Amino acid sequence: MKVIEVKDLKKYYGEIKAVDGISFYVEEGEVFGMVGPNGAGKTTTIECIEGLRKRDYGDIKVLGEEPYNNKKLYKRISIQLQETNYQDKIKIYEILKLFSSFYDKPLNSEELLNKFNLYDFRNSFVMKLSGGQKQKLSIILALIPDPQILFLDELTTGLDPKARRDMWDFIKEMKERGKTTFLTTHYMEEAENLCDRVAIIDKGKIIALDSPRNLIKNSGLEDSIIFEGENLNIEELEKIKGVSRVFLENKKITIFGKGEDLLKNVVDYLYMRKINFKNLKTKSPNLEDIYLSLTGKKYEEVKNE
Amino acid sequence: MNRFFELLKVDFKLLLREFIVVFFSLAFPIFMILIFGGVYGNKPTEFFGGFGSVDVMVPSYLGVIIAINGLMSLPLTLVEYRDKKILKRYMATPLKSSYIILSQFVVNFVLTLLGLILLFVFGKIIFNLKFYGNVFIFSFVFVLSTLSIFSIGFLIASLIKDPRTANTIAYIIYFPMLFLSGATMPLESMPKIMKTVAKFLPLTYIVDLFKRSWLNTDIFWLKMNLSYTIDILILLFITFICFFISIKTFKWYYD
Repeated sequence: MKVIEVKDLKKYYGEIKAVDGISFYVEEGEVFGMVGPNGAGKTTTIECIEGLRKRDYGDIKVLGEEPYNNKKLYKRISIQLQETNYQDKIKIYEILKLFSSFYDKPLNSEELLNKFNLYDFRNSFVMKLSGGQKQKLSIILALIPDPQILFLDELTTGLDPKARRDMWDFIKEMKERGKTTFLTTHYMEEAENLCDRVAIIDKGKIIALDSPRNLIKNSGLEDSIIFEGENLNIEELEKIKGVSRVFLENKKITIFGKGEDLLKNVVDYLYMRKINFKNLKTKSPNLEDIYLSLTGKKYEEVKNE
Repeated sequence: MNRFFELLKVDFKLLLREFIVVFFSLAFPIFMILIFGGVYGNKPTEFFGGFGSVDVMVPSYLGVIIAINGLMSLPLTLVEYRDKKILKRYMATPLKSSYIILSQFVVNFVLTLLGLILLFVFGKIIFNLKFYGNVFIFSFVFVLSTLSIFSIGFLIASLIKDPRTANTIAYIIYFPMLFLSGATMPLESMPKIMKTVAKFLPLTYIVDLFKRSWLNTDIFWLKMNLSYTIDILILLFITFICFFISIKTFKWYYD
């Protein structure tokens, strides 16, 4: 069942085409990710779907309903906004109690506090929390209604690596319970680890949409094999089946190529020639490489924008 | 209803954690009558038209309490909530959006009412404060005055986006009203120019109405030969206009 359907979504701010004709769907139980540089239109898209922003053009259905200005829908979907600050002088347990009162069957907030290691802070004011703890609070508030669809906009920004892994586990748990998650993220590793399908979005358009595995397989990007050895004949290396390019730097060889047998062919050759090699590593393209080749940006630049 | 009740509880707790608002609502008016009542006592004097100084001061200080809640606390809280995207976060829940604003009106009204009760009790115990008016008329005046000042606060929250600007504007409106409306200093003893300025301040009409309905007399009016009705009409007009513009322009969040 399709729980989110978007057809030709457009949103313009004056001359700027923030979202310029996006279409996709999300299946029930899926973890769907949207990645892209800042200003690509991720937040505009997610907020149109959440019904918080008015779109200029296109159709959106969330759980079969029009989301814009649809209060009833907020009983079944839940949202973590990219940035919310809460009242400075509200205590953690107070805000949890308040949000619990909004829903018919809220999850037990003490268990959620435990899960995210915030239980000891339940009597603290929000202003005493660190950035990461505030982020956890935002996520807990989004989890309270035990929603059918969970929207997470930049969910692990500001979380330490441990907390990020915990968060991933939690989303996988949600998935096992048949819940749908829609997320945007800056971290390619996160999208690759977590998402069933990923949409890469740039300048208001989807430029690729598939499972991380297929995105990598179909990207045309090559694997690389790196090792150190002596007395190497580069011309012979280049003739090995599947190899496209070979680089030598000091004693370090980097071989680029494709195909399931690439590593076997290279190693067979090295044995045949009785060439000693050490520190052999292989590297496959990851989502980040795909992203870079598609958006033409250096990822670090994007992150620091 | 449960949702609204929980929201009220939280908003009221948060309001009680705002030192300045609580101080001016509950403590400041009592300090003032302790000081002035301590100096002049509450014996009827000619200067106060045959009333005791505390009897005259108490209805004036109600203006102070209403103003701190309506012109400072209410708009600044709403602007802060919007700036921090708390309003937007609330919008993404099943909570009715109008409850968010209603709750701010209610909790500030309750604090204003507490201020009135506390002031009355202290005045009664220490200075034998007297109420000469009609309870029903006074209640009506109290509710209308609160609504009209709160509507001005709502208007500030609707028109101003930036919290610091809102803060500045709230102070610019609040302090002149405090001193020129008769709320803290008797208008009767002010030069003519000040009295003219006072005629343009909504709080002036409120203080006047409070004095009239508390003391059951019209001797404190600015000698414009106006009546109860005019005071009330002016406040109704302000309330209506401010609510109208606010409802048309209020934004829950900016994209």
